[in-house]
Order: sequence, then C-alpha cells, then structure tokens
Amino acid sequence: MPGSGGAGRRVSDTLRNPLAVAALLAGTLVLGTALLGPVIWGEAAETNDFTSLDQPASAAHPFGTDKLGRDILARVLVAARLSIGLAVAATAIGMVLGVLVGAVASMSGRRLRRFLAMMIGIAVAFPGLLLALFFAVIFGVGPRGAVLALGFAMAPGFARLTQTLAASVTSQDYVSAARALGVSRVRILVRHVLPNLAEPLIVNGTVAAGSALLAFAGLSYLGLGVQPPAYDWGRMLSEGLNSIYTNPSAALGPALAIVVSGLAFNFAGEFAAQTVGGRARVHRKVPAHVPADAGPRLSTSSDDAPGTVLSVRDLTVRIPTADGLIRPVRGVDLDLAPGEAVGVLGESGSGKSLTALAISRLTHDPVRVDAQRLTFDGMDLRGRLGATERTRLGTSLSMVFQDPMSSLNPTMRAGDQLAEVATEHQGSSWRDARARAVERLRAVRMSAAERRSRQLPHELSGGMRQRVMIAMGLMGDPRLIIADEPTTALDVTVQQQVLEVIQSTRERTGAALLLISHDISVVSSICDRVLVMYAGRVVEDLPVADLERARHPYTRALVEAVPTMQTPRDERLSSIPGRPPDPAALPTGCPFAPRCPRADTTCTIEPPLVRYAAGSGAVACHHPVEETS
Amino acid sequence: MTATTDTHAAAPHLGTGARARNTWATRTWTRYVVRRLGVFALSLWMLVTFAFAMIHLIPGDPVRAALGVNASPELVAARRAELHLDEPLLSQYVRYLGGLVSGDWGVSLQSRLPVTQVIAERLPNTLLLAGLTFVVTLLIALPIGTGMAVLTQHGRHRLLELGYTGIAMVVSAVPEFLMGVVLVYVFAVRMEVLPIAGNAGPGSVILPVAALSLGSALALSRIVRVELLSVLGRDFVRTARAKRLRPRRVYLRHALPNALTATITLGGLLLSGLIASTVIVESIFAWPGLGPTMVSSIITKDYPLMQAIVLIYGAMVLSINLVVDMVLSVLDPRSTIREA
Amino acid sequence: MTAALDFRDVTVTYGTGAQAVRAVDGVSLQVPAGSVVGLVGESGSGKSTLARAAIGMAPLTGGSITASGRPLPRRGRRPVQMVFQDPVAALDPRMSVRASLTEALGVAGAVPRREREAEVMRLLELVHLDPGLAGRMPAALSGGQRQRVSVARAIAARPEVIIADEITSALDVSVQGAMLNLIRDLRAEMDLSMLFISHNLAVVCYVCDVVAVMYLGKIVEVGPTAQLVADPQHPYTRLLLSTAPRVGASLADSSLPPQVQDTEPADPHAPPTGCRFHPRCPQGPAVVAGREICAQQDPAPGARDRPHQAACWFPGGPVDLPSPRPRDPQPAEAT
Repeated sequence: MPGSGGAGRRVSDTLRNPLAVAALLAGTLVLGTALLGPVIWGEAAETNDFTSLDQPASAAHPFGTDKLGRDILARVLVAARLSIGLAVAATAIGMVLGVLVGAVASMSGRRLRRFLAMMIGIAVAFPGLLLALFFAVIFGVGPRGAVLALGFAMAPGFARLTQTLAASVTSQDYVSAARALGVSRVRILVRHVLPNLAEPLIVNGTVAAGSALLAFAGLSYLGLGVQPPAYDWGRMLSEGLNSIYTNPSAALGPALAIVVSGLAFNFAGEFAAQTVGGRARVHRKVPAHVPADAGPRLSTSSDDAPGTVLSVRDLTVRIPTADGLIRPVRGVDLDLAPGEAVGVLGESGSGKSLTALAISRLTHDPVRVDAQRLTFDGMDLRGRLGATERTRLGTSLSMVFQDPMSSLNPTMRAGDQLAEVATEHQGSSWRDARARAVERLRAVRMSAAERRSRQLPHELSGGMRQRVMIAMGLMGDPRLIIADEPTTALDVTVQQQVLEVIQSTRERTGAALLLISHDISVVSSICDRVLVMYAGRVVEDLPVADLERARHPYTRALVEAVPTMQTPRDERLSSIPGRPPDPAALPTGCPFAPRCPRADTTCTIEPPLVRYAAGSGAVACHHPVEETS
Repeated sequence: MTATTDTHAAAPHLGTGARARNTWATRTWTRYVVRRLGVFALSLWMLVTFAFAMIHLIPGDPVRAALGVNASPELVAARRAELHLDEPLLSQYVRYLGGLVSGDWGVSLQSRLPVTQVIAERLPNTLLLAGLTFVVTLLIALPIGTGMAVLTQHGRHRLLELGYTGIAMVVSAVPEFLMGVVLVYVFAVRMEVLPIAGNAGPGSVILPVAALSLGSALALSRIVRVELLSVLGRDFVRTARAKRLRPRRVYLRHALPNALTATITLGGLLLSGLIASTVIVESIFAWPGLGPTMVSSIITKDYPLMQAIVLIYGAMVLSINLVVDMVLSVLDPRSTIREA
Repeated sequence: MTAALDFRDVTVTYGTGAQAVRAVDGVSLQVPAGSVVGLVGESGSGKSTLARAAIGMAPLTGGSITASGRPLPRRGRRPVQMVFQDPVAALDPRMSVRASLTEALGVAGAVPRREREAEVMRLLELVHLDPGLAGRMPAALSGGQRQRVSVARAIAARPEVIIADEITSALDVSVQGAMLNLIRDLRAEMDLSMLFISHNLAVVCYVCDVVAVMYLGKIVEVGPTAQLVADPQHPYTRLLLSTAPRVGASLADSSLPPQVQDTEPADPHAPPTGCRFHPRCPQGPAVVAGREICAQQDPAPGARDRPHQAACWFPGGPVDLPSPRPRDPQPAEAT
C-alpha cells in the first residue's frame, strides 16, 4: 500500500467510525476549554454574588453557586486549564523518565539490563495511585508534590512499555542487519529503534494522560493535590460533596467535567491506535443476493457425476473488505472418486485453502460461499446443516491443517481431543472413547500411544502432533481426508513420515484425499491428479505424471521455478515476472495474462474456458503449450 | 510386519527423549517457582526499605514539618528521640526491621495509639470491601464478556457490539470515586434507600462495593470478550468446528479455558488496582477501613502510621501478584517456560 | 589460500546449567574465496546459530571465526554480511530503500558522499531491481523485491563473505527461482563468497559448489556438491537425499527400515550419546546388529580422515541394500 494514500484512506475510514468522531469532538471541546476557559469565564468565576450563596441549579447558574456565591459552571470551565495542565505535566514527567530508563535498560549490557528489568517489574506491580500516595509523602502535599508524585508513579509503566517495545524492535532482522553492518549502538537507537517506538508510545501517552487526569482529581479530592484558593475539578468535587444534600449539582458539575475529559483522552488514544494500526476499517455487509458472476463459467462439465465422494460445481467465495467485495475463489469445479487422491497446487493467495474450507463448511461470516452443487457422500452441504448432517460430517470428513501446534487445543490432553469425537457423534462413554483414541493413535504409528494420549500438545513434537490430527479423523469412518498444507510446518524427514501415515491411512480406510499444497514434490509424491489454481480459478487439471508436460504456461513455470534433485545445475530456473493479481482488481481476461509470455490481446479480453484434452486433463488457456516443445 | 512391532522397536529411544523433555519441563517449573518466590522476597525487602527510607527522603526536618513552626524545641526533640531520628542510619534501620518482626510498629504521633492496634481495627474492613468487590466483579464480568463474545463474533450484531462497547467504555472511564458520588446522589440522596456513609449494617456495604466494581467489571468484561474473540479466531477452534462439535462445547470446553490465562493476568492487575481505589472510595463513604487513615496520616504527617500503612498496602499487592502468578503457572505451564 | 570465512571448532551454548543447549558443537567449516558453500540441516540443527555467530549475534563459547584470515572486528565495518529469511522483518519499515542502502554504504566508508546516489542505483540494477524503486518504503515492495534489497544492502557493505539464511523459504514459489538465479548471476559477475543456508537440499545443491550437512549441532558430512549427491557417506545425508524434492518420485522410493521409520528428531536438551544420529539411523544399532559403537562413541574426532569428513563409524553405501558397487571398506578420497 503506498504510504500517503494508505494513511489518507485510513483517516477517512476512521472518520466513518462513530468512536472516532466522538473522539475528535470530545477532544476539541476539552482542549478548547482548557485553552480559552480562563480567558472567557475567568472573571465570572471569581465574581461573588452574596445574594445567592450555595444555591441549587437555576437558569442564571446552571450548576448553582458555591458557598461564596460564585457560579459553578464558570468555575468548572476555568478549572479545565489547571486540571488538564497538571495531568499533562505529570504524564510528560512520567513519559520522559520512563522512556529514558526503558531505553537505557534495553541498550545496556546483559547484567544491567536484567537488573533494570527486574526493578521495573517490581515497580510496575504496584498500582499507580498507591505509588502516587507514596511519593506524595515525600514530595509533600500540594500541586507540585502531586504532579511529581503522579509523574514518578507513571514512570515504571512507561519504562516497561519502552523496554518491551524496544526489545521487540531490536530482535527484528533489520536491527541485526544494521549491527552486522557495523552501525553504532547510538545510531541504531536513533535511526531504527526510536522511530519505530514513537507511535505506540504516543498512543499510550494519550491514554495515560486520561488516567492521570482522573488520578489527579482523586488526589485533589483527598486534599493531597491542589490547595485553596486555587481549584481544580477534584477539589471542587470534594467541596460539592460536602453540600450534596442541599446542592447536588455542585458536585455533579465537576464530576461531569472529569468524566467527559477522561473519555476524550481515552477516545483520542483509541482513535490514534486505530489509525496507526489501520484497524478502523469498517466491514461492509455482503448483499444477500449478489448478481451472478459476470464472467462466463470456466467449465463446460456441468454433467452429473455419479459415484463421486465429493462433487463441487461453480464454487464461489466472496469476502467483503475495505477495498470492496473480493472473490478469492471463482467458480471452482471438482469431482473426487472414492479413494482418489487429488492435489490442489497453488501459490499463496490462489484461493486453494479457502476452497478447502468452503468445501468443508468451515468458513464463517462475513465470508459467503455459493455453489451450484456441493455434495459430499451423497449429502448436499449447501444451506443449513442439521444434526444428522453434522454427525455424518463429523465422522466421515476428516481435516488436517497446516500448523499442528496451533490446530490442537493447548489446554486439552491429546487423547481427549480425539475421544470427544466419539462421545459427541457416536454416543460413546468417555472410557470407551479414550480407549478408542489410544487405539487410533497406534494406528498412526504413534509410539507409546497410551502415555502420549495423556499429554498436552506442547509436550509432543511437531510430527507427533500431526499424527494426532490425522488420528482425529480416524475416530469415525473417513470417506474423505482434506489436508491443507499438512507438512509445510515440518522438517523434511518428518514430512516424509507424515505423508507415509496419510498414505497408509488412505490405503486402510479407502478414503479419498484432497491435498492442498504449494509444494509440487509433496503433491506429486502422494496424489494421482493435480488441480492447479491461480487467482481463484482452476487453470489446469492433469495427472501427476504429466506435470512436467503441463500445458498451461503457469503450471509449466511453476514446475520449472523450483529446483529439484533432477534440475541440471547449469540450467537457469524459470521465473515468472510480476506478481499474482490483486483480488480486488482482477484483470478482465485471463488472470495470468499480464505475466504470461504467450499472452496476446485475446487473453487480456476474454477469460479462457476449460478445454478437455484428448487423453485426460483439462486446461483453461487460449494458447496452451503444445507437446512438441 | 505389523504396525505394533514397529512401535515397539522404536519405543525405547523415543521413550528416553520424551522423558527427558518431561523432567526438563518439571525442572523448568520448579526453577520458575523458586525464582518467583525469590522475586517476592526481594520485593518485600525493598518495600520495607522504602517504607523505612520514606521519612528520610522528606526534605528538611520531618518532625518540625509535622509539628508545625509553633511547636516548642523540647517537643520536637522529644519526638525526634521517640522516632530514634538522632541515631546513626544503620542502627535505625536495624531497629526498624527488628520492630517489624517483633510486632512493635511504633506509636501514632496523632492518636498516641500503637500502630498495630489501629491497623488491626481498620484492616478487616478494607479486606471485606476488596474481597466482596473482587467476587462481584468476576460474577458480572465473566458472563457478560462470554455472552458478548459469542454474540458479536465474526462481526455479527454490530449494533449490539457498538452499544455494549460504548456503554462499557463510558462506565469504565468513570473513576471509582466519581461512581461513588453518583451512586450516593442517586441511591442515598434522591431515593434514600441506602445509607450514605459509614459501616452500619449490611446495607452500607452495597454502595462502596458497587462504586468499586461497576467500572472494573465492565472493563474486565471487555477484556474477556476480546480475549475470547481472539481465541475463537485461533486454529484449534477451527479444528473443534471441523470435528462438528456442538457450539456450546466449542465455546465452553475449547475457547473459554484458553481465554482464562489472559483474564486471570489482567484480573490480578485489576485486583491490585482495586486495592488502591479503595483508598478513595473508603474516604467518600467514610468506610472505617485503612484508606481514610492513610490519607489523614499523610496530611498530618503521622510517620509511623504512614509507614505501616504503606507496608500493608504494598504487601497486599505483592501477595496478589504472587498468587496470580502461581495460579497461572499451574493452569498454563507454558507460561513458566516462556518466562524462563 | 586463506578462506573467506573460516569456522574453527566453533561452539555456541545457550542457557546455563541443566537448561544449557549446545546449539553448535565443535563445528569447523571453510568458505573458500569465490565459492558458494551450502549448509543444510533441519530446524534445531544449529545452522542459523552458526550464521548468527559469524555476524557477532551469538557469543562463542569455544573456537574461533576468521574472515580472510583476520578475526572478526568488534566495531566498524564488518567483513561478514547476512541476508535473512523473513522479507518483512529484514527492512526497517520506516526507512526507504535508498535510506537503507545509503546507511550500508556509509558504514562501508569506501564511497564518497556525493557518489552514493549513483552507487545506490548501481546496486539496485545489480540485483535486477528498477532504480525507480529507490524512493519506495518497504511496505510498498513485494516479498521478492524486499529480499533483493536485502541482498543489495549486504553487497553495499563490501563484505568478504555473505551469509544467506533461508532466503527463499518465505517467498512464493514463482519468485524463488528468480531469487536463486540472482544468487548465481551475482556469483558469476562479482566473484562472490557465500555461505548459503537452507533446509532444502535441492535448493542447496542447485546453488552451491560445496555442501555441508548439519545434524544436532554437528557437521556430519562435507563434500563437493556432485560427489555428495552421487556418493553420500553419512546415512543422514542419504536420508536427506531420499526425502529431497523430486518431481514424480512416489513415497515408496524412499521408505526406511521399519525400526527407524517413525523416529522423532532428538531433543537438543538431551542429545543421544555417541553418534547423535544413531537412534534414527537406518544403518545404525537399531537396525544392524553389532553396531553398538555408534551408541557409545562419538565418530566426530576421526571425521577428517574419512571421505567427505563423514562423522560416521560406517561411512559409505548402505548395508543390506542392493548397492551399485561392492562396498569398499576404505574408499579413496574424492573418487
């Protein structure tokens, strides 16, 4: 995203957010009052009207008068400057002190760093108000003492924040690179670390100023802050509370002021955080009925496919984003015969994983899935799934995901995560279900299955975790295994083991396999057939054995872009210029045309239809590579 | 060749590796506990030292400052002697530590009562208030946070979400003492259903507890909601859904336990924050706890009392943090590994 | 001839006491000037730690590292530069391409200030990037482009040797080929010395002249690429070769003896005794009778005298499997 345009849009997006608008309004109001209050209402606030002492709210005095007959509203408005000024001063002291200590801690040597970190940790454990009371003892009662006390009390928090942020920045590779270049420590701090800390520090500073305001009001209320005849909101509140029976508005006026300004600071912090983090994006609702896809259907094979375990026609996935409605999957057709192993090959962003999730009905709002047909094992998966469908899916469709660590519940024993399938869908008792889980773990050749089943996922290795995932699908009677990059997170030798387990599972159960992967060698080692996806479409469907004779220029390039053990060392690898199209701005014709060496004007205008070849396989290309080359 | 023999053949080697991993984890946990207790002891010692140092950090003559310019030099000298301020610093420190251990915490300069007696009278009321508040906070925050997370996940019910976050933000931005003022005004002044101040019967505890818990309960419920939402977006929840479990089981068995770690961490911070807030709320409601005593001791410069109260509050906060960390290390052993 | 980068008996230990892990354990490896040496191994093998040691990011607990015969300096221009795996973290998000490259040129010191702009353009062209990208921030670049900028930054510092740590792992498949082509072009154009680290043996073999195989902190085999592929000496190398990417090879081509088929990588906190690979070794004591020595004695000390410096008591072809030639008890060095 280009810098300025992105920021501009972030601001305009934020403005559509009601929180942000509230933040801007409240912030302007509070700051304006603090700046102008004493100038405009200064005189009114000091005018004693001895005819109306301690009066409740009236038209002349909306919040009544105090015991010297002064208008409370005017005094509240005038007190804004002192109240906010003191809070900001305390925050400034806290921030400067904290950032200094934090920066020193993060830049110093190991021992000093650990010592300072421990000291900061101990200091942070104490609530700010308690620290402020402690410092108030030392600095004495009064506004100066209170500002110092609050500032000192806020420092540990900022020190901790600075230290954590700096640690995360200095662990980044670009700081390592700068060190390797020989850039000096100070220069690294100034050029690399501090600029990357500025944003979060400012956000936190704003929020902290808000709480400083509240804390200061609290201190003044207790009589430890501003002393008469000066007054801030806290002191006015404590005076008002004394006469709460006769004139409640005297307390409510300053109370309201404190809440409104506290909120203004909070809102401003939230607003800053959202603008900085780009989180303020509004989700637009997907229209319930989207007009049919403008482009022609890619496939001509809309014939019914009997004897399939999975049959998909015109699968489309739509997601609303800030850039408008995108369609990461556009009209995918797919048939799997029982026991067949089909690979889906594609780069990141090709829509292959979403296709797998959409087929298995695991997408959720705001993602919308539509299909002309989505049949699994004779069951229509479109529309709402009832209890029967749920049970059948739970026992006959097995899923294996990419990252076995994050895909297992970290707080639940491995065996129980298997067993709950049986208790949920097969009405087993926990005892039986656990025994079955151990047996299934043995089936995936998990060593010491009994003991492993009682362990938590983090106690298992990556390969074992993936075996647990595979065994989970074996609790029922799987007809289809959908595996989404099942070995990508694993080491090569373990990858081999896991693929072998998947293979032997298939052989034993007769389940079909849909393997999603970016890795040609993984797909070709275990699958019979490959679907190649690009920009949400299947561009080629071919037997694994024909991969090196692929007809789509993209498949060709993909096969030749990655070296294998057979790649001659003196041959250049093929490379594909450019990058995959932005899903929000897809070209009208063939999505691969801008990167394709064979593309002509037809390709840029007309999306290619899938053409079935004489033998087996299909290709969606106007100019497929012919076998002669 | 069957799968079973394969496993047996490989088992011995694997067994040792895994056992090593386990004992290593246990050792890491023990190391963590020992280290954590060490930090606790160190913090406690630092707290005591700071409480001792407080009186020496005050600019000028603390006794003169406490008694005012009109006090006779004899009185000042007597008080200095009573506080042992004329002795060398080290012997004062040793005497102070000894006094703490033996239960001689000094005598209040104002009331002339033993400090331990004042604290024994006041502390139970503060503990009652803090304990009740904590329980009420949890009882409000957990159901609301969980319910809101489930209702508003994946951007559903956007109006409800907006209303809830709006209200929660506003209410939790109201500091406890202001909440107290508002509650006093509504329930004690206007409706006259609850006592305005003091500790006279069970009814008088309602307003202080409400003032303390409302804001923090809503703040905590927001945290519970955000944590739960982030857990609901994690891969293992997708796995649970792939197993086609009932939604109730997905939420309560898979998502909620994983959101608790962060909730307890932040809940602990909230609780120690509550301890500080009781000081002001007790002052508003004239609750006979330690809070008003602390404030008056600061204003009247009643050093022995002040030192003792700072110690008590600090020790409470440190103990809460210790308990939270211990609970976490049992619930989520991985946190100890991350720490170490 | 002195090597561009020379690791001698390098040991790196993390943690202390019971938690100590020897991530790198007595590793000796040379990167000769003008050649690309590959280092292949699984996660946890210590290959990245070795790289970090060479740029001073991991303190040595033993041994020494020299660049062109000189010890690594503690300050100023460093002779070893590194290109990292993650293209997102590799560039400061708040510095333009120009600023990043200029910083590197500034430290190198050899380029006068007013010639730096021209030098930035030359560097960008060298890594096949449009010089018009100089003003861009990293966020506006693709992963492949960022990796190219990282390479340019490393070259800008005029190092004796560049370490490339998994530089293609985080890239999309269609971009990886171009990146590897770039490395080969640079090598041809500027006589680059490089240590190329990857978990992917096929990638390493494609780019490198010499390949070193690392397992659990130790180098188990080193040899010229063609020889290592044709005649691997260490069983672990053979395992890696059989699992390396290969189009059209079915799983059955690489199945292992059942005794070691499902073994897990060892725990680095408690490495196995003797040869660290022995519990998983298809020719080790778990499979072949009478090889207890593997579990008892470390084969590393005598490795220098074995072909490919194999840290293995029984180097050479596998036993009990049809071998292309009769097993030679003492094969000649570099057949």
